[in-house]
Amino acid sequence: MPGTCIELKQLEFQWPGATQPLLRIPELQISRGERVLLRGASGSGKSTLLSLIAGIHKAKAQQVFVLDHDLGDMSQRQRDKLRANEIGYIFQQFNLLPYLSAYQNVLLAQQFSPARRQRLNAQQSSHKQQAQNLLLQLGLTESDTERPAHQLSVGQQQRVAAARALFGSPALIIADEPTSALDADHRDNFIQILFEACRANNTTLLFVTHDASLAPHFDRAIELADINTGSGGWS
Amino acid sequence: MIRLAFASLANRKSSAWLTILAIAVSALLLIGVERVRTQTQDNFANTISGTDLIVGARTGSTQLLLSSVFHIGALNNSMTWQSYTHIKELPGVAWNIPMALGDSFSGYPVVGTNEDFFKHFKYASEAALEFAAGRVFNADEHAVLGAEVAQRMQLNVGDEFTIAHGSGGISFSDHDAHPFQVTGILQRTGTPVDQAIYIPLAGLGLVHGELIQDDNDDSHDHEHEHADTEQQPVYTLSAVLLGLDNRALALRMQRQINTYREEPLSAIMPGLALTDLWRTLSLFEKALFTVSILVVATGLLGMLTALLASLRERRREMAVLRSIGAGPFTIFGLLVSEAFMLALAGVSIGVLMLFAVLHFGADWLLLHTGLLLRATPLTITEWSLVGAILVAAILLSFIPAWRAYRNALADGLTIRL
Repeated sequence: MPGTCIELKQLEFQWPGATQPLLRIPELQISRGERVLLRGASGSGKSTLLSLIAGIHKAKAQQVFVLDHDLGDMSQRQRDKLRANEIGYIFQQFNLLPYLSAYQNVLLAQQFSPARRQRLNAQQSSHKQQAQNLLLQLGLTESDTERPAHQLSVGQQQRVAAARALFGSPALIIADEPTSALDADHRDNFIQILFEACRANNTTLLFVTHDASLAPHFDRAIELADINTGSGGWS
Repeated sequence: MIRLAFASLANRKSSAWLTILAIAVSALLLIGVERVRTQTQDNFANTISGTDLIVGARTGSTQLLLSSVFHIGALNNSMTWQSYTHIKELPGVAWNIPMALGDSFSGYPVVGTNEDFFKHFKYASEAALEFAAGRVFNADEHAVLGAEVAQRMQLNVGDEFTIAHGSGGISFSDHDAHPFQVTGILQRTGTPVDQAIYIPLAGLGLVHGELIQDDNDDSHDHEHEHADTEQQPVYTLSAVLLGLDNRALALRMQRQINTYREEPLSAIMPGLALTDLWRTLSLFEKALFTVSILVVATGLLGMLTALLASLRERRREMAVLRSIGAGPFTIFGLLVSEAFMLALAGVSIGVLMLFAVLHFGADWLLLHTGLLLRATPLTITEWSLVGAILVAAILLSFIPAWRAYRNALADGLTIRL
């Protein structure tokens, strides 16, 4: 599959007030459709790197590219828009708004994203129907999709989170330790389901974890400490 | 986004309802006070109209107004019958209403007057007095009752009641207590007229023992020759209401009466005196208004507290919204719209409560406090108070919204618990 999804060039990032950069990454390329595991100890700058790629924090120009957009050259609003349209994000836990039902949480994904709405509109069925289908694919039952999020088990909540990330076919899924709250069985099951969904949509997956044992599942495993020469790499 | 804000609020039902209730009560109070203020002022200004001058013995204008129109307080001085006959004959005087005050019946003021009162006295916008039942008195021992007196004392036309002159003064009559017969009951006016009893001057003279009836006429010495045809029923009067041929002459007439040489007299223009009196009362009105403003501030501060307190537990929610592409301004807007919904719900419920109170409690209020309030639509001032509460709520919500905005920028996608 041609094209680069994420590209880092001479990335240097340091928090205001810090004496030296937390991240200094000479080069990193992730192709479209690739499934990459990024491993790093806590405090190694993982979260900071993810927030730069997701466009929450701003890198300098010409250092971070996502889908060929130079994030360092985009406004806050443009980065928010890009994230809404093309990036699905899965947290470690507490992904859902507890007062909305499972399928309403999935529908949230298109709330701020005209591009996702457009892609959903290309399908025959209604948005709600598509959200429910996605949840069924990810292993929820019909009645679970209508239940408020806070009534679901942690494993079910993570599936709903995955469904929301995937909804409307964004190009990139960033999963930040999504399985750390799950036991081993659920973890493998969740990863399988996520992979299948990504493969079906040719979605790039950037999966962050501290657990090296998951590496065999992925196309490529990157050790953050190996590529980062900033202060985060020393810890 | 409004839908999201709504769902999020629904998730925090109990604190949301408490906030709404606090705002509702404060809005009820603020608009209620405003309504009491304006309608009282209206009622106040409506107590008398069409009268150009009120004349009494030399005294302060407020005191003369209070006693002659509101029947509150006693006049120390009174004007002599001679002065009255002089004034009513002055050129330019179209009509006059003599009034003798100072007695009461079960706490209701008794006003000695004549049938001109019912002909010429006007209230509100030149509204004349009308009879709910019966007619004007035409004998000395007849009485006309104000609506409230009749209702509270349960008197009907034809009933008798006694007016005792309790001062213990020298009485020429055999009895201290005089029976009076009700000949008429006035329509409710919402003015002090409702709370007064009107009897002929001659009747009051009987009670006081001032009226010398025909059988012992000789024992009394008349000082003025031309009064032979009209007997003097009382020695003195408390006040006289004057209507002039030409209102523009009121000022000159006032001067003329104020400089009357035979006796020190005061003439006041009721409109001006009412305004003066209202100005002195406005201190209380302002205090009341200030208190209700403070209550509104308390209600809104309660909302601010609730919103600020909720921010901590909602950082997760904010991070989720950020992750799906919501900008920090969306987070800002979310909190502002939440505050707006709380305030709107609060104010609406407050206004509904006010109308419920006015609709169901108006009679009770009138009966027990004499406040005449109507459930009329909101006035422009009241609408602007409603608007002010909403605007204040929105402005206040900028504080938690700004905090949330800053949090959203700083936290990004990390969830701090």
